Amino acid sequence: MKLSNWFKGISLPRPPAAAPPVGLPAPEKVYLPLRQHRGAVAEPKVEPGQRVALGQVVGASEEFESAAVQATVSGVVEAIVDTVDPAGEKVPTVVIQNDGADAWADELAGAAILEDPAAVKATRPSHLLRRLREAGLVRAQVQGRPLHVDLSPPMAPQSYLYMTGIPVVRPIDTLIIRAVDVDPPVCPNQSCMGEASQDLAVGVAALARISGAKRVILALPSGVDAAGIAAIAAQYEWEVASVSQRAYPFASDNLLVQSLTGREVHTPYGEPRDVGVLLEPLISALDVGRVLSSGRPVIDRVFSVAGEVKNPQTFRVRLGTPISQVLDAAGGGPSRPGKIIVGGPMMGLAIFDPATPVTRETVGVFVQSAASVVAYADHPCIHCGRCVAVCPVNLIPSDLGKLCEFRMYEDAAEMNLMNCIECGCCAYVCPARRPMVHFLRHGKSEVLAGRME
Amino acid sequence: MNQNLLTVSTSPHILGRTTVRSMYLEYMIALAPALLMGLYYFGAPALITVLLAVASAAVSDFIVSFITKKPSTLSNLHIICLGLVLGLILPPGAPWWLPVVGGALTVFLGIGIFGGIGYYPMNPVLVAWVALAISWPEAMNSFLDPLPLGTEGDWAEAETPLMQLKGDIGTLQAFELGVLWLGKVPGAIGATSSWALLAGGVYLIIRRIIPWQIPIGALLGAVGMALLAAYTDPAIEELGLEGFAAHMDVAWFHLGTGGLLIAAFFVGPEPVSSPVTPWGTLLFGVGIGLMAIIVRTWGGLVDGAFYGVLLMNAATPLLDRIRPRVIGKVVNGA
Repeated sequence: MKLSNWFKGISLPRPPAAAPPVGLPAPEKVYLPLRQHRGAVAEPKVEPGQRVALGQVVGASEEFESAAVQATVSGVVEAIVDTVDPAGEKVPTVVIQNDGADAWADELAGAAILEDPAAVKATRPSHLLRRLREAGLVRAQVQGRPLHVDLSPPMAPQSYLYMTGIPVVRPIDTLIIRAVDVDPPVCPNQSCMGEASQDLAVGVAALARISGAKRVILALPSGVDAAGIAAIAAQYEWEVASVSQRAYPFASDNLLVQSLTGREVHTPYGEPRDVGVLLEPLISALDVGRVLSSGRPVIDRVFSVAGEVKNPQTFRVRLGTPISQVLDAAGGGPSRPGKIIVGGPMMGLAIFDPATPVTRETVGVFVQSAASVVAYADHPCIHCGRCVAVCPVNLIPSDLGKLCEFRMYEDAAEMNLMNCIECGCCAYVCPARRPMVHFLRHGKSEVLAGRME
Repeated sequence: MNQNLLTVSTSPHILGRTTVRSMYLEYMIALAPALLMGLYYFGAPALITVLLAVASAAVSDFIVSFITKKPSTLSNLHIICLGLVLGLILPPGAPWWLPVVGGALTVFLGIGIFGGIGYYPMNPVLVAWVALAISWPEAMNSFLDPLPLGTEGDWAEAETPLMQLKGDIGTLQAFELGVLWLGKVPGAIGATSSWALLAGGVYLIIRRIIPWQIPIGALLGAVGMALLAAYTDPAIEELGLEGFAAHMDVAWFHLGTGGLLIAAFFVGPEPVSSPVTPWGTLLFGVGIGLMAIIVRTWGGLVDGAFYGVLLMNAATPLLDRIRPRVIGKVVNGA
């Protein structure tokens, strides 16, 4: 960590050592939303009453920013209903009644199997990309994009890229695999480190082959036993970087790219790819490896349960399992639940329905009891400057918060409101308990709405 | 009605433990050594002055909240803390109405008319202090000779080191630095024990209650200006100071006297009226240090530390414009 970052951000308690994920039996019913990412909703390809096999496509779309959805149990399609995703939007959802047979679909039998990195290197990138698209992989992150979109060259015309001020699109030369979790104690990546094996090698080789990256950096959490994964890294000549899990939010995408490569990602429209870096979480890389080496789509998701449950741990659950069932497997939540947060405590989204299914974009939940739900206040800003001291991107959150509170959105935009990464450090340290992130988010949406007119 | 409804709100879902109340509580903890040393040296007169200042501020806050029909904010300790700071920068043995008027001025003139915590542009304590110093100069400039607890004797009026310095520049060499830093000299209740102020200030910096830039800047500014004065002022040159160590003694003298340390660690970094940006806070501190020494060496007043804070308070909106570069901002946007 750079010295200039020493006082920035906040220091969170060290998360407990993560155990490898525990498998959960398939549920009786799965709920498969037809959009599990940012982008377009897939068209349902099945009808109620139809019998489906494991891995059979139940939803697909011609749209580019859309990932295919496969059945994660074999059984009968019961209905197509609307559920609400973590971001609060209604999504059509296929409900499948499990018959317990777990019979794989026939059409998957003929898929080519790439079992080692050498075989991956001998395959054409376009072929690999098509395989990933067919498998419907999604970057493991709320509002993550389908992996094939992440890996394809940008669709926007060059003139648009100039318009947003991002200078030149440079070829990707670095691949960062992030085994650090941004928002502990929800730490699915860390708990998967022990599982990394040939799958990881295949996945990383495929990501590097598709993107053209020559240099692979593995960002490991510091202070955690990572001998196994470090040995794999040494075998395939990946660079290993140690990143502190406590220094929040320095493991988040843009800041991690900056600290590992020294390249600064432009906000708000830029992405790591603009500076020649592809960054994927470890669980996404593992999924890529499993798709290529098994020839089958990934039907489960590594899912961490943290916070006030009896046994906080990481599970491997079928996609479409209601979150409430995962909570029960973790020993049950508090007697008076307060919040169920998809993602971590600092950046996660609170959901209102515990029956929300586990999807490809969710990586874990953080549970709070009613007693520990925090209350914000309408206290005026006391100008103490603690938010300025911790802001990882050098904003003046106190002024931005005041401007947004008093509806001076364009003035706030001139003070770089749009460069806020919504990490929540300002709200965390605020002694007046002002809802800083709420103000800034509201201001951003008002600025965008104002500019659209 | 379902009893198990979940709460939905924006992130973050956990918050740090600091509140306005805990912040001012830490301020008062940090002020405790200076207060105790003041009571040790100045006894009952000091205790009465401090208590009257705090009580007057608290009562005034009740009146303000009654007039404005707002709930009293006394529980967040903000007013109590400001009353305490005011008491500590008043002379011990002041007439009883001085702290009473001071506490009322702090709350009415310093805070109330601007709309409460978070809105006032100048440090309320200093607003009150300046009003008192202009209105009743005799009362504000009569100090007591310290009489440590347990010593027999009567209170005698005495001149502070800085007042002696105004009369005779040779005071610079007459004082023993050890005595000066212990605080066994005439002066304001909480401002004489330099080591106690330093300890409290370091505590505040470690707990990240105040930005480190303000005190460090103030000390650097004061030392730099004191050295400059020692090298250039003919009056000081006549004392025959030789070498850097002798000149540094001048700087140590200035750091240990008057209101410089309490201004650097407690009065200056008062959150509402001080800047927030990294370079802004540093310049704010440097300005305090420079003003203190300039006034002491060449000005007509005895001490300039508090006037320095007020002047820099006025510059706070300007200093807050010195913003650091935003990471990720597109520079050549078009």
